[in-house]
Amino acid sequence: MLFVLSASTVRADESSGRWTGQVSLWGNYYWETSTRVEAPGAAFRLSSPQGIDVHGDYLMDAITSASIAAGVSSDRRFTEIRNQGSLGVGHEFDFGTEQLRLDVSGRVSVEPDYVATGVTLSGILSMAERCSLIGFSLGYIHDDVGQVIQGGASAGAALSNRGRVGQLEGIQAGIWYSQILTATSVLTVGYDLVHNSGFLQNAYRQVQVAGMLTPEHHPDERTRHSFYGRLAWIVPESDTAFHLMYRVYVDDWGIGALTPEARIYQGLGGGVTLRLRYRYYNQLHSYFAPPMGGYTAMDSLYVTADQKMGEFQSHLIGFHAMVQLHFLSESPLAFLEQGRFILSFDYYLQGSRFGNAVIAQAGVEVPF
Amino acid sequence: MIQRTLALALVLAAFAAAGCVTVHPYEREFLARPSMDGSSEDGETAFRAHVHDSREGATGGHNSTGGGCGCN
Repeated sequence: MLFVLSASTVRADESSGRWTGQVSLWGNYYWETSTRVEAPGAAFRLSSPQGIDVHGDYLMDAITSASIAAGVSSDRRFTEIRNQGSLGVGHEFDFGTEQLRLDVSGRVSVEPDYVATGVTLSGILSMAERCSLIGFSLGYIHDDVGQVIQGGASAGAALSNRGRVGQLEGIQAGIWYSQILTATSVLTVGYDLVHNSGFLQNAYRQVQVAGMLTPEHHPDERTRHSFYGRLAWIVPESDTAFHLMYRVYVDDWGIGALTPEARIYQGLGGGVTLRLRYRYYNQLHSYFAPPMGGYTAMDSLYVTADQKMGEFQSHLIGFHAMVQLHFLSESPLAFLEQGRFILSFDYYLQGSRFGNAVIAQAGVEVPF
Repeated sequence: MIQRTLALALVLAAFAAAGCVTVHPYEREFLARPSMDGSSEDGETAFRAHVHDSREGATGGHNSTGGGCGCN
């Protein structure tokens, strides 16, 4: 969800002709019964004196899993590495009373059995002294899906000779509107449309159909609609901010979902801000989700073993602390004094068979 | 339920469009605080969105990632 009205992007110093920017380092961790993910990442943003922004990021996912969805038939654990990088460039055009920012970016994600690529064009039109923003995004993805069976069948360097089983195409279009309502409140609403076509099932999962194991088979088209909103306001006297968010989702597979979320931020002085959040997620099942008693031979057109196709609820409770690093100004780490340290911990109660999970993150962001 | 939610979203959008009172930049001191700057959380939001993509049926689609994490 985009929320940029009060975005404090680092801007180049036009008077000195200096480049400015920000560097971020993140450590991310996800734990549930059958899957653990360790994902360190780094990101940067550079702004030229001419107003051109260059930004990029890199993330490495180390996914340790014993899930059959990841291609094993026993409970033996193995680790798969995914590398992801993105690079983008943007510029804001000033038309006097309005400004238009355009940004184009590309992304590549590579793992032994999956290569995902995508490009996105996005823009923000600012009006009324940036009180009103209209944003849009257009994206295209192309994924190559492979199937690497543990212990063999993975010879060759290219995905094309590692058992390529299909490809996935997608287009995305989004529009959002953000409005400063008062000196203490902001409202954002938006809509996203995604259409996917191609290989939309998992290459490894198998389904019991009339007592026989058969490969998972999903429809090869999916159109998804998301509507969302966010209302944020702050009580200056106590430095307390409240964010209420709501998301409505429907698609042509029969899945509908509602996602309300509430956040409370409390400034404690000295550059410390705490955040508590609660997120509720409730989804309906797809029309081809397993019926009571399992699939029969009559259900064999589309069959799934994907937990995400079922009906379930989840709750997420999170805590976050952000500490400005001004206190380092007299230390050998003074080069970090303009930065901030962020620590985040979420407990994720999943009603699906994935089970409960923990999301933990720590990051440092330093402008220069 | 979904219809009522959509109606509420439209009402909120209309409210926003009608409430175009300009708050001048020098009046935005409170909106500039970290707690009101949603973009300040982009770093942690990206990974969390990836988690939701891989564990919920109603997220993702345009930034799908690999099959190893069960994202598709």
